[in-house]
Amino acid sequence: MRCHHKLGFVLCCLFLVAPILAQAQQPPRGGVSTGTPATYTSRRTTGITDPHAPVIFEDVTDKTALANFRHRSGEAAKDYIFDTPSGGVAIFDYDSDGKPDIYLLSGSTAAAMRGKEKAPRAALYRNLGNWKFEDVTDKAGVANERWGFGVAVGDYNNDGRPDMFIGNFGVSRLYRNNGDGTFTDVAEKVGVARRGWSTGASWGDYDHDGLLDLFVPGYVQIDLGSLPPAPSEAGKPGGVAQNFCQFRGVPVMCGPRGLPGEGDTLYRQKPDGTFEDVSVKTGVHDPEKYYGFSSAFVHVNDDKLLDLIVVNDSTPNQLYVNKGNGTFEEMGYPSGLALNENGREQAGMGLAVGDYDNDGRVDFHITNFSDDSNTLYHNDGDNNFTDVTFQAGLGEVSIPFLGWGTSFLDFDNDGWQDLFVVNGHVYPTVDQHQWGTSYAQQALLFRNIKGKFERVGAPPGNALANAWPGRGLAVGDLDADGRLDLIINNLDSKPALLRNVAAATGHWLALRLIGDPAKKSPRDAIGTVVYLTTGNQRQRREVFSGAIYCSQNDLTLHFGLGGAMKVDKLEIKWPDGSIETFNVPVVDKLVTITQGKGTS
Amino acid sequence: MKNPLKHLSIAFALLIAAVSAAAQERATVLTGTELTRVVPPGFYFQGLSAPTQMRNSAAARFGTSRFVIAGLVDTSGYSADVREKYVGFFITDSEITLNGETLAAGAYGFGFANEGKITILDLAGKDLMSVAIENDKSLRRPRPLMMTADAGGGVRLYHGRNYVVIAAK
Repeated sequence: MRCHHKLGFVLCCLFLVAPILAQAQQPPRGGVSTGTPATYTSRRTTGITDPHAPVIFEDVTDKTALANFRHRSGEAAKDYIFDTPSGGVAIFDYDSDGKPDIYLLSGSTAAAMRGKEKAPRAALYRNLGNWKFEDVTDKAGVANERWGFGVAVGDYNNDGRPDMFIGNFGVSRLYRNNGDGTFTDVAEKVGVARRGWSTGASWGDYDHDGLLDLFVPGYVQIDLGSLPPAPSEAGKPGGVAQNFCQFRGVPVMCGPRGLPGEGDTLYRQKPDGTFEDVSVKTGVHDPEKYYGFSSAFVHVNDDKLLDLIVVNDSTPNQLYVNKGNGTFEEMGYPSGLALNENGREQAGMGLAVGDYDNDGRVDFHITNFSDDSNTLYHNDGDNNFTDVTFQAGLGEVSIPFLGWGTSFLDFDNDGWQDLFVVNGHVYPTVDQHQWGTSYAQQALLFRNIKGKFERVGAPPGNALANAWPGRGLAVGDLDADGRLDLIINNLDSKPALLRNVAAATGHWLALRLIGDPAKKSPRDAIGTVVYLTTGNQRQRREVFSGAIYCSQNDLTLHFGLGGAMKVDKLEIKWPDGSIETFNVPVVDKLVTITQGKGTS
Repeated sequence: MKNPLKHLSIAFALLIAAVSAAAQERATVLTGTELTRVVPPGFYFQGLSAPTQMRNSAAARFGTSRFVIAGLVDTSGYSADVREKYVGFFITDSEITLNGETLAAGAYGFGFANEGKITILDLAGKDLMSVAIENDKSLRRPRPLMMTADAGGGVRLYHGRNYVVIAAK
């Protein structure tokens, strides 16, 4: 008892004193973890070029209708946290004409949210071929006109037409594809009109019933009627202390730390096409209310069940391993995915999903804040991951960058998945200081050399030399030339449409997969794993929804084959667990494979 | 050798007492409700109260009723210079040692501003002591903050891979 009294005394003193001080100063509510203040003589995130570097991507935005799109999110000052993280972009073939189309989300403004000004609009661009795009937003009815963050594509009703879930700050939408070039928002009708701040969702059939389910991360709870202090309010008499929400001693928008987080939601699709909230029942509701940004249903281990990874800002990442009984076990810490190799929580933003070292297991790359490195997690098997960022060559180079969208892609078709990362800071004030970083930042392209990464230089004036306030990213072969192209959604700016013009590329094979709902595989084949063997090399790809950063890659799988003129073996593990093996006699083409029916 | 049996008995009794005392002072790392019962939800330090990161808190009990509690706090509200040296709180209700250096009962801040050392601070931010930290390269899954039992009978307070050994006095 004596010792309890001592402890009690100490705690009593602390909590008697604290309220008195709290009256004199506002309780801390915001800010982010920052690195050690340092002064640099140059910015390391813009203007870094190499005249000898090869030209890989050409910025063709201004030659297309996409140049007319302007993303908008809040005001230029970025006073509040919802002003900064929007928004996603999707590549998907909405009209099933074989040419992947582009959907770009916009943010909004507080005034628009209050109905005092016209809301910014998302846009759908139909791919007409030959790098011509047509704005079909109005016809399609997908302008959103809410504060858009994430887009996840999935054919939830197995009708062969891809649908879109839009994660909004406000009320989310589910755009059902009507098959005639139009969409209908059925979110309320089917039960997925999530309120709050929804971000990077993912579709996946976690319960093996052949129907896609939907996971939606929540970010921060924000009440527009009671906003945290803006930077301009710092230091005002009676206002907030100057050190309240700051970056390197300079007032900035508050959050996410110090602001209340939001739980996550898993919607299970019922046989009648409506959804039920099974978040708590399945154990993925995020009771700690971490700041969720990105997610993906993906096969983490070698069983037949879809697992789930959630990337959280400034809090640990979560790995939910599917137990097969309708519940998940959260294994973020024991798996090694929650933290980096030094046991630190990072400001997770984006998520790349792919087997970068061709060992047959899916690995993850997660983007983080500036003054910190992005993180590459190698899958060691049995739900174990190792942070191999620095060994793989992705550490030091990423430190000054604030990363968002990230995706593996084999841009040169050499059979090794390379890596593209979109960057941009959240604080405009970084441009007023010599902190070695900048608001607009160059994107990063890394060439994969047998499991080690090497930054690809940016020729002066080339797309990789441009600096953007980048956010969302999507990958797809927009011109069907066998080289993967990119679209970047830039904050408060026009997008960047990057055409792959790399000269020396290998052979390739693209696969469009169609599952059989009668066999309990979703029709869009989400959750399918493909192994492709050429010679001694075996590559793995998986059809997944979401990830990247609030964005969606084309669901068509793309394999670089290097010098191989033929595929020795193609194994497809469908979502229902069945395995089919195919002969692919010809390469350098797109092949459609229907479960149980073969190629076409 | 007047009465060797008596001397042996006394020595044996002393040994038993010493073993018993040592056993009483052995550290137990707290988990679950035992842990949440003792970790404060917030901590005052240098003019501000900051919320505890409960997931990054740890506590140990020495014997039956002596406690050591540590936790990281959300330092967002602090100025950059405070954040550099202060990461969390350290509370002990009895005299202990950190890697052999004595620390009196009290509530402190702590941080790692000095390379290779943990620094204990008073509530006004004044440095009280700095103790060299060990690095555990073999630790498989480091955490932002955790305690584990140490083979010597105390506990290891880890911050990532770095740690100090806390022992009862």
